Amino acid sequence: MKPFHLCSAIELRDAFLKGEASAVQIAEHFILRIEKHNKEIGAFLSVLGPRALLKAEALDKKRAHNKPLGKMAAIPVAIKDNMHIQGEITTCGSKFLKNYKAPFEATAVRLLEEEDALLIGKTNLDEFAMGSTNENSAYFPAHNPWNLKCVPGGSSGGSAAAVAARLALIATGSDTGGSIRQPAGFCGVVGFKPTYGRVSRYGLVAFGSSLDQIGPLSATVADAALSMEVMGRHCPHDATSLDLPGESYTFPKNLDEIKIGVPWSFLENLKPDVRDNFNHSLDTLKSLGAKVIHIDLDILKYTVAVYYILATAEASTNLARFDGIRYGVRSRNAKTLENIYEYSRKEGFGPEVKRRIMLGTYVLSAGYQDAYYKKAQKVRTLMLDAFEKAFSDCDAVALPIAPSGAFEAGSIHDPLEIYLQDIFTIPANLAGLPAVSVPSGYDSRGMPLGLQIIGPQMCDVPVLQYAHAYEQASRHMQIPPSYIGSSK
Amino acid sequence: MAQFDSQALEHLKKLCRIDCTPEEDVELLDSLKRVLDYVGQLNEVNTEGVKTCRYVLRSMLKNQMREDEVKDLLPREQFLANAPDQIGGMIRVPPVLKAP
Repeated sequence: MKPFHLCSAIELRDAFLKGEASAVQIAEHFILRIEKHNKEIGAFLSVLGPRALLKAEALDKKRAHNKPLGKMAAIPVAIKDNMHIQGEITTCGSKFLKNYKAPFEATAVRLLEEEDALLIGKTNLDEFAMGSTNENSAYFPAHNPWNLKCVPGGSSGGSAAAVAARLALIATGSDTGGSIRQPAGFCGVVGFKPTYGRVSRYGLVAFGSSLDQIGPLSATVADAALSMEVMGRHCPHDATSLDLPGESYTFPKNLDEIKIGVPWSFLENLKPDVRDNFNHSLDTLKSLGAKVIHIDLDILKYTVAVYYILATAEASTNLARFDGIRYGVRSRNAKTLENIYEYSRKEGFGPEVKRRIMLGTYVLSAGYQDAYYKKAQKVRTLMLDAFEKAFSDCDAVALPIAPSGAFEAGSIHDPLEIYLQDIFTIPANLAGLPAVSVPSGYDSRGMPLGLQIIGPQMCDVPVLQYAHAYEQASRHMQIPPSYIGSSK
Repeated sequence: MAQFDSQALEHLKKLCRIDCTPEEDVELLDSLKRVLDYVGQLNEVNTEGVKTCRYVLRSMLKNQMREDEVKDLLPREQFLANAPDQIGGMIRVPPVLKAP
């Protein structure tokens, strides 16, 4: 059979089930790949080698005794380091939590493990998932496997880079304003943000609770769908978890009768290569039978302004728990209780996290709450209305993933300019919509680009069906040449 | 809206319980000012009569209730394993009450 890392997750699982590969061979293969490549990519903050091997041995025994095996059997899965694996460190990419050992298991992680996934490591991220480049990791930045000088995107940059270089075949991400889809787009892999509430947030360190959603990054749309079948379950530990049965995915080949809406006025200033690529993607959708129509979503021009009020407001309350008292790092210089709070947060948080806590506290503070926070919540209502109206005319909305492909690390310093990179991904979070990023080709520098397909709430299955049809017709899925390799 | 100045920043740092270095102060003052200017564009939007968004999932408007009972309690030792300082099975902090 072909080298394990050139298989899709489903192919590799099936090879294991048929006895063409052992789980230990698979685990060893990916652990060696991580050892070889992680130094230059920086995708993993920690590798769970012994844990993965132990699980692999157990799976081989199960198979030898003809015991039933799970849907994720022997698939190497990486977990973003803001989700708990019980007994392992969860750093959130922050110095504040450098020693924090998770006392319980995130629901998404538990579901993956119950279906026999090999949890192979924890992936790098912008501190507390705040960033679009991975440069805000307090440990080291992850790099883009297509060009190590470029950023992998963020905040799930480590997850995207790990899948792009096939150091794992599936990785989990969390998406508050595009943190799954934008890095997936930058690294040429699939990234899916489900409907808000589809995957339990229990055990995910909270950033913006009305926006956060866990989802998969993978090499193929079918692998993302498999992950959703496993992770998309109701969970009593998350009050916003959808109380609906899990969904299963089948993939029709064409898109007859499907209407794709494009808000052209929102896309006026696209760069030429991004525009060409987007138009080409629309042509592919049309060739599959879809109709492309214009829709009005002009209100989306306020996307970034609404998001950076609401997300920071929620972050400022969520991150109040990091006080240096109960867990995390406590400043050694603190002599009084007040000192503990102020110094621990000064020393434990990086600049972007401080900025967002301050911004969020400001927009919620007495005298400013109506002008900023409540105003933004009203505009969010208008955005929900606009999407509802748009979806009465079309089945899905298409957008590029970002204003450009991956850029060079260190090339954007201005926080506001970085925030504006999220303009195309934030709308799905503000409106709770399922949205996927699927590879759509390359920009003028050879860096990957992504097509984004957004569906109405609860339409997770159709969104991945459209993406699958597009993926099969466009065949952009590729591996960066330096990471193909013949064996390890 | 009021100008965001160094006095406002000092007040904000107190509200956030975050201390900063002088260099961070300079950078934060500049970036927060510009971000607040940017988000101020929402004033252009007419929101008269519009309700604030309280639920994202409109089709799922129901309270999630559960029995008020204790379960899944995290064992004390397990919780304290992450505490920065502890004594006698409790978290230790500096004195908060002054001697009379």
